Amino acid sequence: MIPDRAHLDRLDRSWRDPPGFWGFLTTVDHKRIAARYIVTALFLMFLAGMLALDMRWQLSVPENTRMGPQLYNESFSLHGSTMLFLVSVPLMEAMAFWLVPLMLGARNMAFPRLGAFSFWLYFGGVLCLWIAHAADITPDLGWFEYPPLSGPAYSPGHRADIWAQMITFTEVAALAASVNVAATILKMRPPGMTLARMPVFLWAMLIASIMTILSMPAVMLVTSMLIADRLVSTHFFSPAGGGDALLFQHLFWFFGHPEVYIIFVPATGFVSSIVETFSRRKLFGHSAIVLSMMSIGALAFGLWVHHMFAVGLPRLGNDFYTAASMAIALPAGLQIFCWIATVWSGRLRLATPMLWVLGFVATFVIGGLSGVMTASAALDLQLTDTYFVVAHLHYVLIGGAMFPLFGAFAYWYPKATGRLMSERWGSIAFIGIVGGFNLGFMPMHFLGLMGMPRRVYTYPPGMGWETLNQIATLGSAVAILGGLVFVANALWSYRHGQPAGSDPWGGSTLEWASPSPPPAFNIAYTPVVRSLTPMWDEGPGLPAMDGLGLDRREVLITSVTAAVPLYRQKSAGPSIWPLASSLAVSAMFIGSIFTPWAIAIGAAPIAATLTGWFWPDRPRAGSDAPSAGA
Amino acid sequence: MLIVLALAGCSQEARRLVPGPPQTAPNGNADPRIPAYQENLYQISQGGRYFAWYGCSACHGEDAAGPANLADGDWRHGGGFANVFAVIGERHAGQDYAARTPVEQRWQLTAYVRDLSRHHAEKRRRIMLDQKAEPQGSAWLGPQ
Amino acid sequence: MAWSAMKRRIALVPGAVPAALTGACAGIQSPLAPASDQAFALHDLLILMTAVCGLIYLLVIAGLVWSVLRARQHAKRAAAAPVDDSALDRSLIASAVIIVTGLTVLIFGSFLADRALLAARAEKAMMVRVTGHQWWWRIEYRNPATGRWVETANELHLPLGRTTRVELASNDVIHSFWVPNVSGKIDMIPGRRNMLDLTPRRSGWFRGACAEFCGAQHAHMALDVRVDDPVAFDAWLAGQAEAARKAQGPGEALFGLHCGSCHAVRGTPANGRAGPDLTHFAARRSIAAGTLPMTRGALQGWIAQPQALKPGTAMPAVPLRPAEADAVASYLAALR
Repeated sequence: MIPDRAHLDRLDRSWRDPPGFWGFLTTVDHKRIAARYIVTALFLMFLAGMLALDMRWQLSVPENTRMGPQLYNESFSLHGSTMLFLVSVPLMEAMAFWLVPLMLGARNMAFPRLGAFSFWLYFGGVLCLWIAHAADITPDLGWFEYPPLSGPAYSPGHRADIWAQMITFTEVAALAASVNVAATILKMRPPGMTLARMPVFLWAMLIASIMTILSMPAVMLVTSMLIADRLVSTHFFSPAGGGDALLFQHLFWFFGHPEVYIIFVPATGFVSSIVETFSRRKLFGHSAIVLSMMSIGALAFGLWVHHMFAVGLPRLGNDFYTAASMAIALPAGLQIFCWIATVWSGRLRLATPMLWVLGFVATFVIGGLSGVMTASAALDLQLTDTYFVVAHLHYVLIGGAMFPLFGAFAYWYPKATGRLMSERWGSIAFIGIVGGFNLGFMPMHFLGLMGMPRRVYTYPPGMGWETLNQIATLGSAVAILGGLVFVANALWSYRHGQPAGSDPWGGSTLEWASPSPPPAFNIAYTPVVRSLTPMWDEGPGLPAMDGLGLDRREVLITSVTAAVPLYRQKSAGPSIWPLASSLAVSAMFIGSIFTPWAIAIGAAPIAATLTGWFWPDRPRAGSDAPSAGA
Repeated sequence: MLIVLALAGCSQEARRLVPGPPQTAPNGNADPRIPAYQENLYQISQGGRYFAWYGCSACHGEDAAGPANLADGDWRHGGGFANVFAVIGERHAGQDYAARTPVEQRWQLTAYVRDLSRHHAEKRRRIMLDQKAEPQGSAWLGPQ
Repeated sequence: MAWSAMKRRIALVPGAVPAALTGACAGIQSPLAPASDQAFALHDLLILMTAVCGLIYLLVIAGLVWSVLRARQHAKRAAAAPVDDSALDRSLIASAVIIVTGLTVLIFGSFLADRALLAARAEKAMMVRVTGHQWWWRIEYRNPATGRWVETANELHLPLGRTTRVELASNDVIHSFWVPNVSGKIDMIPGRRNMLDLTPRRSGWFRGACAEFCGAQHAHMALDVRVDDPVAFDAWLAGQAEAARKAQGPGEALFGLHCGSCHAVRGTPANGRAGPDLTHFAARRSIAAGTLPMTRGALQGWIAQPQALKPGTAMPAVPLRPAEADAVASYLAALR
């Protein structure tokens, strides 16, 4: 069926946003929300990168007096908190928001307004941290502020509370986003896309969302306990008061370890998609990859004590966590084998996205192996809290998450904008970033092995650390330059890039069926899926299903395992209530930094805005059947 | 609201870890240097640590009675900054705090002591619990 | 003991390779230059892990390069050949076996190293208590001769060849005790006591550092560690146990008045516990937990303006007239 103009116009009228600023504030279009997330997160990544450069400059000379301890401590705290809470996870969520409906041939997410809410609340967290920084109340105790240092006695004022509440913001936003993504993937798949025919990318997003839902409550709990200790004098983390400083570490890392896999698992989804398309063959070991992702998701919850090997816990426990932490290398290694095997048996097209996948394998495996080294409880006693761990964490986070993200960005950019990024500048950016990163962070392994601890604003001369520090600074600068080239390429290509059709790479999954950029309603008909690679297997025309209403917003709900169509769901349209309720929630969160009464008082506006949100929409609830399709 | 908070936050939370200019005693209760100590949380908390280290908590604990109770807001010799500063240095017969405590630290102690009555007893107790293992003058009970 | 000595000799050979590669790594604050049973065990483990992980990495890169080259060749073909994945399926299983084997070897090696950290016999160990403060170390030795505790600060002495059991605790926030040449690190956590066994095998000076972020001056919380043969160590400890020599001049009285509220010098009225014990201060190698060398100039500078040298430190800038400052510095410089 080729949709005619009238069909498309009616769809467009139902699905487009109101014009102007009001449309900006009320949109529930998953693509626009994802774009906001991405722009905000990339800007924050730039700011965090500037902080990093500042720190690297400080460390390139021993006993440097350029930055004092207070400024340096604020810098690494802000850098870590921003990258981990405000950039990495939100970027992965944003990619899910943007891609999941497109890859499912769906018109929007399962809970459109919840998607808008999660962005506004995330933005509230961004403002909470960065406005505090502008006002010189920057948190300065690292990205995991252990008590008693972060307790009321040793950290006066509100810096630690700002940090803790920023986490509350971003974790509620992440929970909302994850619930949305999981529900969409489970209940809104196109007819015929059984779980067995679901692409690996969607498995990755589903597993990451479930991991988020299970782990985020722990960090919300622990940061709220910290605020309670500081604000209302509870004794959770006060040993002399019957509490335990280690309780914070256990609860924090119960979240903290899954958190890094929440960042990594979506990246494996990106890599799987890119490898399949650019090898021009179906991904080898689909079951192995999916089962590996599930094992990573499950195992990730049983590893957290490896962040606490130096704390003095019983030896047998440490040994168990050593074994578990090393065991997770098995599913990760099998995934890497499957990707390499796909390339080996394929017909490789080495465009920019594929370059990033190669960079990912070469870099992430170093990080994974240095992780195996730190997984040993005994050896970790030498390695933890040194630059070795700084090297390891950057190799896995940048190599394992950022490189696939850049590759995904290059891969789906033509879909989002209708234009291709320059291949030449893409390669230059790739060389700059990957080369600069390795030059910058490989020396840190040696610095750690030479005894340099982390979180130090300066170091003494004569330790032999100067040269490696300078190389690290140089490499980081090169990497940031490469990053600027990448962004410049993206900005320039927006206007001047070569026009891409709907499927410039010859992709296998459904997002390539919609136009580039996709219209507000994503796709004219609901596709019907009969294999893992529908775009390759169905010849010139995709089988499609008709019947969703054109004159109001409707999405198709299908069953969880077999994807049998169940009913048409009336999808929510543009609404001011997500913004209003996120403002109310933000006010309550910020207020509760200063007084516990904010929780009681703040509940009233939240109740009011939620009432507005859930107020029945009579026209939508009306039982009139929509007119049949074209 | 955020802007108001931001402006208020600036000076209250400032933490300048650099050597200050040599200090002299405050010139009366309206000395312009006073807010930099009395309104600054870092200076107040430093005062709190010196309060323990100089052994003040031996007599001026939470359960002290009468004039020794510094948290009740009742100032026998006037509650102004310069008044309290003078009491610390000069009205502790036999202790010679004027010589034993540097002037800057006495500014911090004054700010801390005047701040005590602004907090609930639970908050003061909670902070003291975290600092239980700290030395109190010449006594140190070891890690708790 | 014989087994660990033999292992050490075996380990020295491959251990020399990374040592040579990283030049200044054979330093005084480095896990790559082990000087104790515990550090040797961890060093052996490091070599094993580097070897196994390095091998795996080379295999992965080789596989990747081969795949890219092969697939680029095949890209020149117009159409896709029919896909037969049975060979790849077998290779997948083989790679799983390789990974599991590698991990098993490493887990086993890790367990063995962990046991070796406990190998010392506790009954004969000398007891030392190290308490972390912001930002210095309080060190108390239990004198085996008298059974009494001797307090000092910021410099740890250990007897060569004997096991010292260090009991770690904290005064305020979480710190971490780390002397890489001698052992891995253990955190010092308020409300907990952790133990660490050290059996040094090489005498000399080493340097430790606090390895858990503990506030503004975490970067300047270093620890000088001296390993001496047992005779020299016993003599040193006996000297530390004595009170300070009686001093001439006005320095002692000035010190007692201006510094005695926080610092203790045994044998004088100065009995403060808030700062480091200074009874035998001048015999140490550095000032302010490794921040400054023990020289007259550094000492005068530290007394005059500690905030300039270690911003945020708890030591106040005590206003002293130049003559007074000189007298105090002279007094301290004589406290051997």
